[in-house]
Amino acid sequence: MALASDVPTPSALESTLRAQSQTRTLHDVRLHHLALQVLHNLQHQHRWTRLTTHTFSPLTGAPLPRPLISGLPPARLYVHPDEQIELLKVEAERKRKGEEDRADGGGKEDVFGAPEREWVLPTHLMEKWSLRQFAEVFDAITVAPLDEEAGEGRELKGNKWRTTKRVVMATVQDDSTVVYYLVHNGIVKPRQN
Amino acid sequence: MADITVAEPFPIFAVANKYILYDINTVTYIRRVHHICGVLIGNIPQAAQQNVFSGIPLELIPEEARLLVERGSAYIVDDVASHRRGLTDLSAAERIAFVSVLEKQGLEAALAQKRKADKKREKHFEKAGGKARKRGPDREDTELESASASYAVSRAASVVPNDSDVQPLCITPTTSYPPLSAPKPTTALLPPASPSYDLFAHLHSKDYFLSPGLRFGCQYLAYPGDPLRFHSHFLANGVAWDQEISLLNIVAGGRLGTGVKKGYLVGGKDDSRDEVRVFCFEWAAM
Repeated sequence: MALASDVPTPSALESTLRAQSQTRTLHDVRLHHLALQVLHNLQHQHRWTRLTTHTFSPLTGAPLPRPLISGLPPARLYVHPDEQIELLKVEAERKRKGEEDRADGGGKEDVFGAPEREWVLPTHLMEKWSLRQFAEVFDAITVAPLDEEAGEGRELKGNKWRTTKRVVMATVQDDSTVVYYLVHNGIVKPRQN
Repeated sequence: MADITVAEPFPIFAVANKYILYDINTVTYIRRVHHICGVLIGNIPQAAQQNVFSGIPLELIPEEARLLVERGSAYIVDDVASHRRGLTDLSAAERIAFVSVLEKQGLEAALAQKRKADKKREKHFEKAGGKARKRGPDREDTELESASASYAVSRAASVVPNDSDVQPLCITPTTSYPPLSAPKPTTALLPPASPSYDLFAHLHSKDYFLSPGLRFGCQYLAYPGDPLRFHSHFLANGVAWDQEISLLNIVAGGRLGTGVKKGYLVGGKDDSRDEVRVFCFEWAAM
């Protein structure tokens, strides 16, 4: 019929959701879809890689309060202000040495080192959260997500500055806008941008 | 500056649910020892141009007052009740003594005022006389001038302050203690704990200086050291453990905090585990 052909083709997001939608999910199917939508946004808008959804706590093995995502951002997402000071010092030292022997050429590697895997907490703007809910999420996760592709050993030689648990809170609006905020478990002094 | 020490516990005066300190020594002492700054609220209404910096009294927020009382460093004095009680309980002898002290002060003030006026007049006459003498004799009005000058000098010499006919000024006492004797320390009065008091006490125990946060739309500003030396690190909001927080508020707070290079901090007490947990929010820049 004419009407049927008027229905627009599904969006990329819609197709993803349909393709990955499961009839039986551990969590509420809406939370499951929320995670998929955030994962889609991370993958295609922010070029994150090695994205995985987690439904069980890597610490306790119990089901998570809601599905979480872990992934690798294209660049370092968070540098602690104290680490930043140290890295900048090292960089200044390197530059000073580089001035002395220019034959080296000097690599253009990022001052802030390789990107680190992050936990992502998908939320919707209409939700109400409480301290208890945030505490439950933090109690269920590790300091840094395990990188399954790189093997277990990778976790061990983590950044020595990464001592406090953190998640990237992804908040989805009804119009599919996603905003990302870093949430630290405890008192962590702010970055001086 | 010498380190000023104040005997503890010191009184905090409660007036109309405000917690006030009047003694500058106590104000500097609690800032140095207890990391409590309060807000200076004293100003001079008739000299508005001098109000860039306020002076004593210092107003403490209820959390600060409560913390000091819980530490055993201070006690609350209900100022209205203690005035009423103190004034009615004053014995006749005390009353007479106080009135005579006031009269003595009034007389001293009146005498000082009179001496000052006399001195001024004397100076004026001297000046007038000197001026007359300096002028040359070729002036037409020399005779008149010298006559008036000599009169002025003789008059100035004749003015002797006569203290006996001075009326004492009426003194309005500026302190209540004396005449009242300082009230005894009591633990009966404790400022009420707001829902955010647990967070306040927690951050304070971590050596943060806390000040009211209205200027940044939060409850407390947390400074890593004295606010005169450091910028604040956090915009802190205290909530109950199961209190619902709108994510829009977190996004707004996180955005505002990052915009002013501060962290947005939300915390509260988990009563079941008797511990305060806090979470910091920062814009992830993506």
